[in-house]
Amino acid sequence: MIKIIKDTENHLLIEIEVSEANLNNSDLFKTQVIQLLDRHEKTVIIDFNQVEYIDSSFLGALVAILKHAIGMKLDIILVGLKSDVHDLLKLIRLDKVFKIFGSYNEAINV
Amino acid sequence: MATSAQVKTILLVDDNQLFLKMLSQAFKKSGIECITAESGKQALEILTSTLPDAILSDYEMPSMNGMEFRQQLMADDTFKDIPFIFLTYIIDNDLMVKGLNLQAVDYVIKDTPVNVIVSKINNLIYTVQKQQELSKSELKKAAEALNVKSIPTKTPEIDGFDIDFWHRPYQDIPGGDFIDFINANERYTFIVLGDIMGKKWMAWFFTFSFLSYIRAAIRFCVLSRDYSVGSILQKVNDVICLDDVLKDILSSLSLLMIDNETLIITYAGAGDLPLLHFEADTSTLKQISGDGLLLGLFAGNEYTEQQITLAKNDQLLIFTDGMIDFSDDTGKKSDYNTFARNIDLMLNKKYSFKRIQDELFEPSLAVQVDDCSIINIRKTM
Repeated sequence: MIKIIKDTENHLLIEIEVSEANLNNSDLFKTQVIQLLDRHEKTVIIDFNQVEYIDSSFLGALVAILKHAIGMKLDIILVGLKSDVHDLLKLIRLDKVFKIFGSYNEAINV
Repeated sequence: MATSAQVKTILLVDDNQLFLKMLSQAFKKSGIECITAESGKQALEILTSTLPDAILSDYEMPSMNGMEFRQQLMADDTFKDIPFIFLTYIIDNDLMVKGLNLQAVDYVIKDTPVNVIVSKINNLIYTVQKQQELSKSELKKAAEALNVKSIPTKTPEIDGFDIDFWHRPYQDIPGGDFIDFINANERYTFIVLGDIMGKKWMAWFFTFSFLSYIRAAIRFCVLSRDYSVGSILQKVNDVICLDDVLKDILSSLSLLMIDNETLIITYAGAGDLPLLHFEADTSTLKQISGDGLLLGLFAGNEYTEQQITLAKNDQLLIFTDGMIDFSDDTGKKSDYNTFARNIDLMLNKKYSFKRIQDELFEPSLAVQVDDCSIINIRKTM
């Protein structure tokens, strides 16, 4: 489901390894990322480059993760969103609550 | 949009590659998709991205045997209910009891002819599926008996407007979309379209909590003569954020209020898709976007309301995200612009709402991937 790509002093970079992010994997995704937040206590950067489609269950999981992170005073950053996925986030105004960057390098250079 | 018949998938776990190959070919011939793993560890990795309909696992494997693999699955809420069958050469009653205590559905002796193994698994998947359907139908009956509805049976009648709606749940199981029409008093009618994030029963269950809060907020605001959809959304959001049961449950909401006297519509949206306004005079389709965040996201969110004035024969379409999801050969996608373009073409051809439904959901066009709901408001004078 997710793979840790990089573990630096102040953040974790993880990649979602499915192309359809949906009801079948949203609970697992939420549990795994929340465990990472609890264990590492660092900002998590999520790379979506493999994700072609995201459904509302998965968006719900993503928001639950964000709320958990905010409670810990940490950030969730989304990178590598395909245009369809990014458009959907913008349409329902979730781009106002997540930090979104084109790539990992862009995200860390801000 | 017909739902596609789902291909059944099983996960075969065995350290014997030859056996895996032989069995998976036999399953494929009978129309069952096979994923193979050569160890319990590899199987657990596969399970993080795919959930099969059943797991067929060898008992004797190096490093992690079948029993240990089963124990790991039992410890995980996502995996423990997937029907599990042991494959073994050993006929050992103690072992069988141990396995059955771990809720393995059955044992299959490896010497059994392959076609018998395939039939056995086929029967098992069929039985589990039938049982699930039965439970769903019982649940549906119970919901009907309790008269709890998240979708109304009729549309409101307001002079000057034709209001119509269409709704279809995902895989015919009630889901997270909800619609309501509320005649608050002689002058004001409210139109509610929401979508709880998620699908099927879990989302459906929460529609009632959300609907109760929304109905209550509308009534309270009307009683205190606060006819503001923005302020109603704000109240609903604040109370939902305080409700522990609804923690992590989010919903989009389009809330409209029709003034029966002035025929003006006011609208505010929470994480909803932009509405579409078709101007009959100029034959153009315009987007109307709300600015509020999803209900349940953060307490204190603000929702700006806006007035929508429809001219004669103008139409206003309000819909949930299932309407913009499509599935084709290349996979699933969400595409608001394609949906809007299709609507534009059809309204320019003066299609009726019924015809639009038929065209959008013609089975050959696309496969439904979520609940679909759309409300159409047409100004008649």
